[in-house]
Amino acid sequence: MEAPPVTMMPVTGGTINMMEYLLQGSVLDHSLESLIHRLRGLCDNMEPETFLDHEMVFLLKGQQASPFVLRARRSMDRGGAPWHLRYLGQPEMGDKNRHALVRNCVDIATSENLTDFLMEMGFRMDHEFVAKGHLFRKGIMKIMVYKIFRILVPGNTDSTEALSLSYLVELSVVAPAGQDMVSDDMRNFAEQLKPLVHLEKIDPKRLM
Amino acid sequence: MQREEKQLEASLDALLSQVADLKNSLGSFIYKLENEYDRLTWPSVLDSFALLSGQLNTLNKVLKHEKTPLFRNQVIIPLVLSPDRDEDLMRQTEGRVPVFSHEVVPDHLRTKPDPEVEEQEKQLTTDAARIGADAAQKQIQSLNKMCSNLLEKISKEERESESGGLRPNKQTFNPADTNALVAAVAFGKGLSNWRPSGSSGPGQPGQPGAGTILAGASGLQQVQMAGAPSQQQPLLSGVQMAQAGQTGKMPSGIKTNIKSASMHPYQR
Repeated sequence: MEAPPVTMMPVTGGTINMMEYLLQGSVLDHSLESLIHRLRGLCDNMEPETFLDHEMVFLLKGQQASPFVLRARRSMDRGGAPWHLRYLGQPEMGDKNRHALVRNCVDIATSENLTDFLMEMGFRMDHEFVAKGHLFRKGIMKIMVYKIFRILVPGNTDSTEALSLSYLVELSVVAPAGQDMVSDDMRNFAEQLKPLVHLEKIDPKRLM
Repeated sequence: MQREEKQLEASLDALLSQVADLKNSLGSFIYKLENEYDRLTWPSVLDSFALLSGQLNTLNKVLKHEKTPLFRNQVIIPLVLSPDRDEDLMRQTEGRVPVFSHEVVPDHLRTKPDPEVEEQEKQLTTDAARIGADAAQKQIQSLNKMCSNLLEKISKEERESESGGLRPNKQTFNPADTNALVAAVAFGKGLSNWRPSGSSGPGQPGQPGAGTILAGASGLQQVQMAGAPSQQQPLLSGVQMAQAGQTGKMPSGIKTNIKSASMHPYQR
């Protein structure tokens, strides 16, 4: 059963449906410096923030064809930071005027026994990777420039190799459902990063 | 009366500083032309012209400013003419006007243009009046159109030459890489060693115990875990029928559970 688009559902209960608006692009390694400089100029003035995260994606297989996906992320360079559990829904397609990819998003901070909990619940890890890069912010927009590393030995985050010669650039906003003007702001910001990076909405289903 | 005098003084000062700037830039331009004419490049000449034009613009703005009284209404009358050197005057004019005498005054206090210039201006005004308003308007429009066409052509040429020059050497991103990275993040393409395409391997059927009936289902879960994995399917359907009609709602059931913990102070 396909769930109806989340923006049409009434808001019941105490929490508001948060949507993630997303634009993605990539930049080759040798152009990373110029991109970082430009972002430092465009974004809010703060100390450049780097991160090293280990993300594990868990699947729960049910009777439906599509398994349920949860993403667990932990910081490898910040000790004591909570783990981050995230649910991302199916992207809402159909509206050609919307410039960004929109999907339902639920974010929770958890304690360290997250993986055990998920395994007990019946989730199984599908894949994992290490993300290393920079984080910038501009108002409510978050820009991440990071490199994805494949983990060669499952569970061992030291043996990694880069997946490609590029950095992935993601511009994302988490906002309550229904605020479509956010995508306009994102597109304007993306314009300023051309021609270094082309941020666009990429439908993952097209790449399967 | 006081206010007007103050205004006059203030605007005169502003005018004075603008004119001094203009004089300096003119002076440097002339120096450049006279002394460096063999090394001079067109862009450098353009720069000087641009500077002059900018300064003339600001001068115009100062004159048009609302706080400037109409200078046209002011009259300067020489009160004393003397053939002696005037030190004050020398200082104020930076040594250019040593004597305030009857030779100097007609040049400096002149308000009418030169006779030749006056003739030319009269000629131009009669010509302009002779053409007539419509023809004049048409000429103005055609001039504007030609200017805009020219501007468009120039900007197009500039754009084309820039992109042509940049494309071969400055490829800053690779679309194939973008797709690969997005696929990796979205569903793990290329990440897992034993599942190269990211599709599911020997998937363990998930248990619906994550639903809202955790406490009640725990007993059922223990029963399930006892069974071998290959037998999970029939057990699963049995369990699901026992939980009245929760099948279709499984994902949303999980969502409601997790949502209750979502108001955490350090969400990323």
